[in-house]
Amino acid sequence: MVNFKYRYLGLCLIFWIFGVVTSAESGSKRDKPTVAVANYPLKYFTERIVGNHVEVIFPIPSDIDPAFWIPEPNGVLAFQSADVILLNGATYSKWLDKVTLLRRKMVNTSEGFQEQYIQIQEFTTHRHGPQGEHAHAGVAFTTWLDFQQAIQQAEAILNAVIKLTPQHEKHFQTNFLSLKKDLLALDRRLETIVSPQSTKPLLASHPVYHYLARRYGLNIRSVLWEPSEIPNPTQLKELEKILKNHPAKWMIWEGDPNPPSVVLLETLGVNSLVFDPAGNVPVKGDFLSVMQQNVENLKLAF
Amino acid sequence: MSRAVSTPLVVGVKGSALDLVMSTLYFDDAVPELMKMAETDRIEDSSLALPIPIYARFQARGFPIVGTTLDYFAFRGLEIADGRQLAIIGETVLGAKAAEALELGPGDFLVSSPETPFDLAGVYPLKMNVVGILAKSHTSDDLAVFVDLKTAWIIEGLGHGHQDLIKNKDASLVLERNEKNVTANAKLRLYTEISEINLDSFHFHGDRSQYRLTALITVPHDSKSGTLLRGRYVSPAAATQIVQPVEVIDGLLQNIFRIKNVIDAIIMVVGVATILAILLVFSLSVRLRQREIQTIFKLGCSRLTIVRLMAAEILIILVFSSVLCVGMMTVVDHFKNDLVRIAFIR
Repeated sequence: MVNFKYRYLGLCLIFWIFGVVTSAESGSKRDKPTVAVANYPLKYFTERIVGNHVEVIFPIPSDIDPAFWIPEPNGVLAFQSADVILLNGATYSKWLDKVTLLRRKMVNTSEGFQEQYIQIQEFTTHRHGPQGEHAHAGVAFTTWLDFQQAIQQAEAILNAVIKLTPQHEKHFQTNFLSLKKDLLALDRRLETIVSPQSTKPLLASHPVYHYLARRYGLNIRSVLWEPSEIPNPTQLKELEKILKNHPAKWMIWEGDPNPPSVVLLETLGVNSLVFDPAGNVPVKGDFLSVMQQNVENLKLAF
Repeated sequence: MSRAVSTPLVVGVKGSALDLVMSTLYFDDAVPELMKMAETDRIEDSSLALPIPIYARFQARGFPIVGTTLDYFAFRGLEIADGRQLAIIGETVLGAKAAEALELGPGDFLVSSPETPFDLAGVYPLKMNVVGILAKSHTSDDLAVFVDLKTAWIIEGLGHGHQDLIKNKDASLVLERNEKNVTANAKLRLYTEISEINLDSFHFHGDRSQYRLTALITVPHDSKSGTLLRGRYVSPAAATQIVQPVEVIDGLLQNIFRIKNVIDAIIMVVGVATILAILLVFSLSVRLRQREIQTIFKLGCSRLTIVRLMAAEILIILVFSSVLCVGMMTVVDHFKNDLVRIAFIR
């Protein structure tokens, strides 16, 4: 009888210890806060700053432009589950008006310089990929291509994650300074390359370089060409008209252009280079390596 | 009363505090005067409280449509029992009793009702996708049809989706077209349902801060913030008011109990008078039957037997009248809500 009592107590103790251990483990897994981001630059900046202390999720598919994502329920629910939702601002996320998200979780990372948003008057719609047609009217949104602005956005991210997990503030500050150093290096490098001939006329295949142009004084005229498509006769005629008053020798593409497009441009005396805005996750490398390559590519034009 | 206690503050347009509270807490049919979304920004910017906008103006098959944000569900502790939470405009989550009464579940559709059948230029019915059913909360939330605030504005007509005017070359749709703008005529088809295909076309016009709400549930961060916030609405010139639902409902209940006390007093007086009348009737009856009682006594009936006979008569009358009263009370109790509605409520 006594033996049975002790065995029973021993069994209860084992189960209790097991329960405490498993609940501690699962509790610690649940404790890691989550940040959802609206585009790849924000993902990169956040991951650089938070390291392993915060989970960063980017629920938008990798094969589309995050600005024009047509929201689907699973993606929206992923955003809802995050503790903080980092947005680019400058009307970047066109889908915000179509989804249900908690306002108090949202952080506009470009709010600090919203007075400097660029208003654009582009009217015509166009389409690319499976997403359907859209226009670039309203506010220019590729804010991170001005690396000074990118630093400000990273700082807004820093403030948001410190608020979320104040115990890691020192760690986040250190990481932010490292990121800032890299972005400043890009900024200086670009200034060095561009400043001797900043008024040199350039073309852009897509109207997404407004902030880049403003920051580094680039003289850019935009058309609406897609890297994957060959320009039609109307588009070529439009380009010839532009070249009469804007004799550019280089066109900046968002991605690797179709070889026939490159040949067509060369017949007009225009060469091609790629400056990838990196709105979504790159196939190779990361934001920093892509931007470093972009800066070196731009050097070709100067 | 517990619902009023759990709601710290409500902001609305100046007017009847009772209408404001009844509409906000219990989704009453009477819609209070509408306020602007700018008030939400004002409270948020003050950093004193969390504003939860409510737009409870429309109905769907007799049930109130409540346009709000996800904060409302967290605030009221509402959980999803079946399906999922709202994610995209055009979706709806039903209260448990509303879903039961309408026989709807996730995957079904619910069309909003027009405000009036006679207003041809009024709000268009919107076909909403039911994506979730809430667990029973035993409150007014069980009877509500919840939508995102933006969906409620779409029902109002402040947001819509339509055929693409740039892509569509049908000249009969267009009043005027130039380089910067295209103006369409009334032939332009507005979508009455939000789907994967047309979601991208939906957009809003005008200044969002001017969009309308019926009320703002305001949750102060602490009691000091609540006091400071209430102080901002003290000015007589303010167009909006801030009320504490518990005070409003308490006042209402006190009025109801005051009336109840008066009615109780009247009933007591009538009751005493009735008892006195009954005693009078019985004593008169005994007096009138004196000769009959004396005759029974002379025939050999003892006094005790005579008392027993009188008592039995009174008892039989009391039992039968009690049975009649209980029967009538049971019938009235069963139909009390309908009787009150017919008699007192328009």
